[in-house]
Amino acid sequence: MGLDTLFVFLVLTSLILLGSSLLSSSIRVVALQGAVLSFLPFLVMEPGWAGRAVFLAALTMALKGIVFPTLLNRSLREANVRREMAPLVGYSLSLALGIALLILAFWLAGRLHGIGVGLSTLSLAAAFFMMFTGLFLIIARRKALTQVLGFLVLENGIYSFGLTVVGHIHWLVELGVLLDVFVAVFIMGIAIDHISREFDHINVDQLDQLKG
Amino acid sequence: MPVVHYFWILVGLPVVGALVCALLRAPRAVLTALIAMAAVETAVGALLVKGVFSGAQESVAWGWFYLDALSAYHLAILLLVYLLSTVYAAGYFRHELATGLLRPGQIRRFGILWCGALAAMALVLISNNIGAMWIGMEATTLMTAFLICVHRTAASLEAMWKYLLMCSVGVACAFMGTLLAVAATRGLPLSGSDVMLWTQMRAAATQMNLPLLKLAFLFLFVGYGTKAGLAPLHNWLPDAHSQAPAPVSALFSGFMLNTAFYCILRYVAIIEAATGGSGWSLHLLQFFGLISIVVATAFILFQEDVKRLLAYHSVEHLGIISLGVGLGGIGVFAALFHVFNHSLCKTLAFFSAGRIGQIYGTHAMDRIRGTLKAHPVWGIGLFGSFLALIGVAPFALFMSELQIIFAAMDGRAYVALALFLAGTGAIFMGALKHAMAMAWGEPEHPTPAPAAGITDVILVAGSLGILLAVGLWMPEWYRSLLLRAAHIVEGKI
Repeated sequence: MGLDTLFVFLVLTSLILLGSSLLSSSIRVVALQGAVLSFLPFLVMEPGWAGRAVFLAALTMALKGIVFPTLLNRSLREANVRREMAPLVGYSLSLALGIALLILAFWLAGRLHGIGVGLSTLSLAAAFFMMFTGLFLIIARRKALTQVLGFLVLENGIYSFGLTVVGHIHWLVELGVLLDVFVAVFIMGIAIDHISREFDHINVDQLDQLKG
Repeated sequence: MPVVHYFWILVGLPVVGALVCALLRAPRAVLTALIAMAAVETAVGALLVKGVFSGAQESVAWGWFYLDALSAYHLAILLLVYLLSTVYAAGYFRHELATGLLRPGQIRRFGILWCGALAAMALVLISNNIGAMWIGMEATTLMTAFLICVHRTAASLEAMWKYLLMCSVGVACAFMGTLLAVAATRGLPLSGSDVMLWTQMRAAATQMNLPLLKLAFLFLFVGYGTKAGLAPLHNWLPDAHSQAPAPVSALFSGFMLNTAFYCILRYVAIIEAATGGSGWSLHLLQFFGLISIVVATAFILFQEDVKRLLAYHSVEHLGIISLGVGLGGIGVFAALFHVFNHSLCKTLAFFSAGRIGQIYGTHAMDRIRGTLKAHPVWGIGLFGSFLALIGVAPFALFMSELQIIFAAMDGRAYVALALFLAGTGAIFMGALKHAMAMAWGEPEHPTPAPAAGITDVILVAGSLGILLAVGLWMPEWYRSLLLRAAHIVEGKI
């Protein structure tokens, strides 16, 4: 699998998420994206870093490809929800906005690549597009679970950016992302459990008593 | 003892404290252990900052740890606010235990997370490595999220979720900024982990890739700014502050916001040094500071809940601090002075609002009347802290705000000055009306108020006394400390 193929795949999975309403399939898509992402270290690491690449790839695969999806699926079963009901932004509009975000991502990537950052415009664009998609899902969807998925996609974007731009510098960079994702998803999972015990569903639009 | 040990103790002691809390059975023992931990931590911190405060040492460094005037000053405030809040928490929760509002298990969980929050914030302040600084900030979010919903209610869960989500996204944004800042060092003759050291970046600032550095700052400002509660990304703040138990609100408002703002200041120093003092980042701070003041004004005037009112005051004061730094020159000095004043004052305000809330059984301001009669000590605490908050002379907050006005006139920032005066003026009137209504009048339900303990009196009199004293007279060492810290922020050292 070439580097460009991988980035195209990351962009496509993000686009699918924008148009998907079934929560279980969204979780599967995010798991797939995480699994694809776990190949990235092999493709961008400089020679001599093989051990580190293997470690990173294994960690990414285990967390993003297996652990998180399992945790989220468990939350899904306990919260007893199946699909995103009446999102704030409809699915076809979401996809159209997704295309606009993709164009924005390419524009930004072009500017950045121009000042000597990143492997290629595509690598940067894919990273930015994942970040935008994640943010969009957090803002435009109502289920707490979808918001966590959005957060994961946002983190995937940052991980991809970090690895391709400053991957050569220090272990802390990758550790930071993995730690962040691990703890955030773990904590968010607990939070969702608390919330779903208190409320019947985990619709964020029920969380609207606090105003002003 | 070598200085490195102090650093390790500062981060390690709270971790040990958390373990102790997890093992203790009795809730009272947990609260006592917390006070003991906070006291030892404060003593260790005092030994560490002593040299920097007196000017004997410019900075203390060991590996990834680093302390200069800016961080030592913030560390001292953190430890003061934390110690006060811990002492207060003991009294506050004892009352809740007695009335059956809390179960012992909830106190234990509070203790563990309370310790964790201290470790995380201390790590932010003593890290020289910008990655470690970021990890500390991230840990702060995760540790404090569940402190908001110590009382498990629908509203507190809502506040917790909003906080967790907004601040996680904010911190992710800040991480992106950190990556970009590191990317901006590419090509510099720095090796390995050195590129992530703030001191190294600061020294090499002029050779960094400027467009990338600026982009990094935008991400960092948005990210840490969310956590600092700057408008328009402040939405989580009033919910979290109003739903959290009072000691937690006090720590949030009294210092957690400043921890995030401190991170921004560190990067302001790099940017200002890199651009040769062009004021590029300062304009951003000024602009969003003003927006925060304006937004807060609107919400303060029409507020009904006393803790939400105080939360919007935090947005206002963080805005004032941001504006002060943004004005540059004497404004930076004034803003740093304002950090301490606001932290102490807001801590006392939340303490008072919390106890008054317990006495009246509500935080709705129209049902809180005659606090001075119902409970003189906390009544005075609430009224006094409101007076200080809105900038009544000669409290210290008046002095720092006055200096910010001078800074605005110095820099001919007349639009900023006009907005600042209009905002604080309106807040003065609005908040004074709220405060007077609560202080006087007849208590609706004359609840049997618990007698004021000696700690209550010390907390109120001590805080108000310090605010008055610092407002009237600033010791020379304090002035020089603030000047040195201001120089660091302006990238001049």
